[in-house]
Amino acid sequence: MNSKSISSTMRLEDIDANLAWQAWEPSQEEPWDLRRAALLHRRSGFAATAEQLRATVAIRPDEVVAKMVQGEPNPSFEMDSFESDSVDLAKSVLATSDTKQLASWWLHRMLNTPTPLVEKMTLFWHGHFATGAEKVLDVELMHTQNQLLRQNALGDFRNLAQGIAKDPAMLIYLDSISNRKAHANENFARELMELFCLGEGNYTEADVQQLAKCFTGWEIRRKQFRFNPYQHDDSTKSILGQPVIESGESAIDCVLASPHMPRFIVRKLFRFFMTEDAEPSDAFLAPLAERFAQTNYSIASVVQMILGSRLMLSGWSIGRKVRSPVELAVGWMRTLNCSTNLGFLADRLKTIGQAVLFPPNVKGWEGGRAWINSSTLVGRANLIYELIQNEMTRFDRGTFQEFVKNNNVSDSVQFSNWFANHFFVEELSIAEKDHIQRSFKASSPDRWASQTMIYLASRPKIHLS
Amino acid sequence: MNNRINRRTFTSASFQGAAALAIGAAAPQGWLQSLAANLHAQPNSRERVLVVIQLSGGNDGLNTVIPYSNELYYKSRPKLAIPKDEVIKFNAELGMHPSLRGVADLIESKQFCVLQGVGYPNPNRSHFESMDIWHSCQRKDARGTEGWLGRYFSLSSQLANADTTDSLGLHLGSEQLPLALVARGVQTPSLSSIDQLRWKGKPEENMAGKEEMELEKKSAATTENSLLDFVSASTSAAIQASERLEKALASPDSAGDFPNSQLGEKLKLVSRLLLADLNTKVYYVTLDGFDTHANQLLAHAGLMRQWSEALSAFHKRLNSAGLQDRVLVLTFSEFGRRVAENASQGTDHGAAAPAFLSGPKLENSVIGTQPSLSDLDDGDLKYHTDFRRLYATLIEDWLGASSKQVLASEYAKLDELGLNA
Repeated sequence: MNSKSISSTMRLEDIDANLAWQAWEPSQEEPWDLRRAALLHRRSGFAATAEQLRATVAIRPDEVVAKMVQGEPNPSFEMDSFESDSVDLAKSVLATSDTKQLASWWLHRMLNTPTPLVEKMTLFWHGHFATGAEKVLDVELMHTQNQLLRQNALGDFRNLAQGIAKDPAMLIYLDSISNRKAHANENFARELMELFCLGEGNYTEADVQQLAKCFTGWEIRRKQFRFNPYQHDDSTKSILGQPVIESGESAIDCVLASPHMPRFIVRKLFRFFMTEDAEPSDAFLAPLAERFAQTNYSIASVVQMILGSRLMLSGWSIGRKVRSPVELAVGWMRTLNCSTNLGFLADRLKTIGQAVLFPPNVKGWEGGRAWINSSTLVGRANLIYELIQNEMTRFDRGTFQEFVKNNNVSDSVQFSNWFANHFFVEELSIAEKDHIQRSFKASSPDRWASQTMIYLASRPKIHLS
Repeated sequence: MNNRINRRTFTSASFQGAAALAIGAAAPQGWLQSLAANLHAQPNSRERVLVVIQLSGGNDGLNTVIPYSNELYYKSRPKLAIPKDEVIKFNAELGMHPSLRGVADLIESKQFCVLQGVGYPNPNRSHFESMDIWHSCQRKDARGTEGWLGRYFSLSSQLANADTTDSLGLHLGSEQLPLALVARGVQTPSLSSIDQLRWKGKPEENMAGKEEMELEKKSAATTENSLLDFVSASTSAAIQASERLEKALASPDSAGDFPNSQLGEKLKLVSRLLLADLNTKVYYVTLDGFDTHANQLLAHAGLMRQWSEALSAFHKRLNSAGLQDRVLVLTFSEFGRRVAENASQGTDHGAAAPAFLSGPKLENSVIGTQPSLSDLDDGDLKYHTDFRRLYATLIEDWLGASSKQVLASEYAKLDELGLNA
């Protein structure tokens, strides 16, 4: 075991890249404990219940991560009827024409899935291959795209890229439902390189024009992708230095082969899982990029490397991410075994900036500090307040007070400690504990729990992961 | 309400210039420049606010600002033309729609300006595309995924030291965020109700007292967790904003007297937020329903009244709070409508139309000539003032930013607006 350690206050540029990406192993100084398990579940999914955390700690961390990336449930994450419930829900949603209901369907999955990493990655790809239902309008097409993202979420990036390039919802969103020989549509070609695969500055305008020609003849007919050979420009094209590109598919492969691609993708994954608050150098991310390239673009391999790394689990990463609205709400609900009216939940999430299936623009959600402003901070606290007050909300099928009692917590101070251990990145401050002691200890028996919770929801640190 | 002046006819010295021009003739340079812009000393442009009212659907400009002395107007619109004696005249050629009494008052108090003939080359008569062009300043084949205001926000936050997380722009309404406000890296919130800025739950349940927050800030500063510091500072700012808002709401006549219409409610909300002194620089609201293809008379009259009454109430509120020099309102629509009426007593999509500014002292109540009703562009009024010049003027002279950077191109400002800082 390496004697060098990563202290939590180190700056990224002072950390050795090879050290950072080594698999973390428990030690006496850095034990595999509830705190680390909670961090892992927050980052890889949407937080976890007390019981799930205890079960997680009983297994080696590398096994926990391995199960996650393989799409297998970790112990205590059970839901035997989950998939069939979800399919049934989907059927009834698809029968309506309501894309907002589809958002509720997805929230149900996030709240109940035994494999949260899969849903989290689906959410990641949804932000990456941003597609908005307000423009696509068709529930079926949005659902199909969502399933495509889910099926390939931890798979092979090439499959995902090729698949999304022909996805009708995506083509509609990018105004690329017809790409004609006489007038090649550059929008899709540009977004493919700029937003999906390479990043700004890693291709030329000539590349965009040539790539656009490769996609001529790509159309949608009757909500399905169709290749129209009569509209296809079959002149020879040259993209990113490769002289002869025949088809749209080979053009995509050409783009994927660019050395910029692995760097671009792993940087996004770094931001999503590790932190948006520090910008690593390409050299720092090189081990991830290499793993990605060597495994033929296996998303699971990179995610496994990130989640199980020393940088993630040693303690450096704690508190370095702002919880997205979904992470905050779904995480809070999962920790407390909470269920509620999902349409209401979707609505509230929209208010604080994250309406799933309705990203703000082609670039998806900015994330990080952008989640935080005067109106969202009020909204985030109010969301928890409203969830508690909503008459359809249940905690383990009972009231909030009952849930708290069943977890062997008998007063406001105890509850705040319990909650902090399971949901916060650090303990409450002395000032906070004093306030709780003074304000809620003497409250009436059916109120102190919810009152304490509402107060805790207003703490700045609830927004951090 | 002051009834001393006859609302039907009033004259103003500044209109003599406009009346002296033949309608349709190009404006000689001299008279516009010579009309001095006599604005009050400008407050620090950091405190200035822009309110944008978007009339969605294509407002019929020709029935809003009416060339009542032109026979062609009546010939082209036998059913829809507003009778001469109903028009609220403000000079020998032009007058306002009869529902626009509030606007007429604003003209009288020199707080209103009509910008004639605004549009752009090769007019696009599709709603979405034309609206997108107004929002993004780009045609569809170029990439119009960012709005002019979004780019202004983006540019400004790069320049500022970003110690506030309050967004520079605010969209009020439950519709989707208008493209004008969109830019990469910029999140402009949509507020559909003032409740979204008010903490729920009792005070002791929410925040610890101010002293405790201060204590926390101090202890946070020593943890070296800059993200926590940021969130803590933002939370303080949020509490302060919320407290200011609560104070503003609690004061007896904080609401002011607003009509009970959609636009009235939205502008009421804007005025409350303005009084709460948030850091927002741009408020954006929309009013729908202007796509009057059929049975236009009543519908348009209703919309005109809604706009006039809401705008009038808004400026009255600002005037009484002494904010009139700080807040400028732009009202625009994505295109005008055709000169000739159609067979369904309505009008179809057109091109050029007037845009409107209101709020601070605006010496010139009309800028630009009335587009000719005979020399048309395929049945539509021809524009003479590119809307991007209007944007450039607002960006530079009102908001104090570089229009060349925001619009990615140079457009000559409309100095005659007199908004110079």
